[in-house]
Amino acid sequence: MTLLGPLGVALAVFVAALVAPLLLRGFIDNLARAPTTVPQRMPFVGGVAPEVHAWNRYHARYYTMALVFLAFDMEMVFMYPWAVVFVREGVSAFVEMAMFITVLLLGVLYMWRERALAWA
Amino acid sequence: MGLSAALRAFAAGAEAPIFAIAGLGARDAVQDLRLRRELRLVDSPRSASILLVAGVVPEALAEAVARAHDAMPRPRASVRWHLDEAAPGGAESLRASVSASATDDVVAVVRRTFVELINGARDSEPAILPDVDPAPWRGVGPFGQGGSGMTGGRPFGRPMAEMGDDRDGLRLDVLPLTVGPFFTRLPAGLTLELRLAGDLVDEASLFPNPFAGAAVPASRLRPALRPFIRALSEPVPIRELELARARAHLRWLADALVAQQLESLGRRTLALAAHMMPDDLARVQALGRALRRTQVYRWSLADVGRLDGSRLEHLGAGPVARAAGLTEDARTDDPAYRALGFEPVVQSAGDTAARWKQRLLETMQALDLAARAGELRTEPSGRIEGPRGLLTLDSAPSDRLAPLVPALLAGLEWSDALAALISLDLDLEESAAVQPAAERTVA
Repeated sequence: MTLLGPLGVALAVFVAALVAPLLLRGFIDNLARAPTTVPQRMPFVGGVAPEVHAWNRYHARYYTMALVFLAFDMEMVFMYPWAVVFVREGVSAFVEMAMFITVLLLGVLYMWRERALAWA
Repeated sequence: MGLSAALRAFAAGAEAPIFAIAGLGARDAVQDLRLRRELRLVDSPRSASILLVAGVVPEALAEAVARAHDAMPRPRASVRWHLDEAAPGGAESLRASVSASATDDVVAVVRRTFVELINGARDSEPAILPDVDPAPWRGVGPFGQGGSGMTGGRPFGRPMAEMGDDRDGLRLDVLPLTVGPFFTRLPAGLTLELRLAGDLVDEASLFPNPFAGAAVPASRLRPALRPFIRALSEPVPIRELELARARAHLRWLADALVAQQLESLGRRTLALAAHMMPDDLARVQALGRALRRTQVYRWSLADVGRLDGSRLEHLGAGPVARAAGLTEDARTDDPAYRALGFEPVVQSAGDTAARWKQRLLETMQALDLAARAGELRTEPSGRIEGPRGLLTLDSAPSDRLAPLVPALLAGLEWSDALAALISLDLDLEESAAVQPAAERTVA
């Protein structure tokens, strides 16, 4: 450390990070010398070659759950300033937050009934 | 090369990863390899070093065998395991470098081949299929770039999935996919043609049985099936039949447990199935208690793949029908079984979990019957209740259950669809053994 100084250390890390992947790559290439063939690269789902490309657009059915997660995540943000105010205000702050949470809970129950929490 | 040699010696000490293909007569023998610690059955040839082809593989599956072979990374080797010396090998395209006979210890042969591969004494096998891309990526530009569509040309030359109606009223892609014939969770030879909307099965259908067509002599079937085929035409001790039934149910359960990621419980079940005797009832009960603690009964398979009794009536679907409340059982017609006071066990739910419970209950019942049967023999009548349902001289339960598969799987998530399909216990070998005389041709 003292020998190289901070700049020297940074330079050493930079050179090591540059050389290490090259060494590793060379080592792996040396281990796996045989080339791969087309049938070897093909996806295997039991022995029949796929005829259609696997890139396809499908329904992300969990989107309601994802939206609900985002909404509740944001509501948690309100709890941080509230935690500060709670020390000063006491019970009244607690009651106000309890009302807020109750409204949210009703929302969760509604969501549950509408099957928004079902995965598929 | 000191480091290289040390690494090779270290790698050769590992358990040999093998991808096994169970042809005719080899299903149980391959399943038993799960109990051997010297090797590891892997789910895909991509993680295997050795391809084990056991039993008779029909020529119709030769290309799939070649694909499995070529999908293995190098160094690779294949081992041909002949369980019946008189049987034709089948799948001639596979030029296996090593072969093992029924009398050889196949595990030792596989281990030896693996060690030779790793320390360089044996060359890696070349590919069987040509190294030609069937669908190269080709755009319109001089370097294969560009073209219409979001990818510019067709990615790897394959067409994209077509649009189809989604169950939520949207139009999204429906991906056609063929799973099998060597998909490790399904019996070898079973090929499922799917159309997937995301992870939901939109449509499903089964390919015809690749083992059908050639007459299969009883000696070429796996030993577990033989008592039931014999019982069609000659009296067979009930003790033998019921033990074979209990073993068949537990062998099914072992595979189904592996498919539910409960590998060690599956291995325990398999060890029990391999040496089953009537006094093993307490161990089967203990297994049942262990199962009740898993997710299987509680939630993962409950209400999945429900089959109504009305759809199963007069199909002779055995445990599948009895799990849905039907009392159909050919054993009630046999005087010897009546003398034992046989009553079919029945459940009502008809879902996948009920089929699991049904098979476990019938295993216990079979052990009880085997213990009490003494010297009683069946009355041959051309029909017998096999482990999968009513077996006659010209039809097997799997043939009658297969038409129900498309309606059963449609709309299920893939994992549920697979669990529901496995719970039917389709057996292609059994249906090849009793196919109608008209369909038989000389092998």
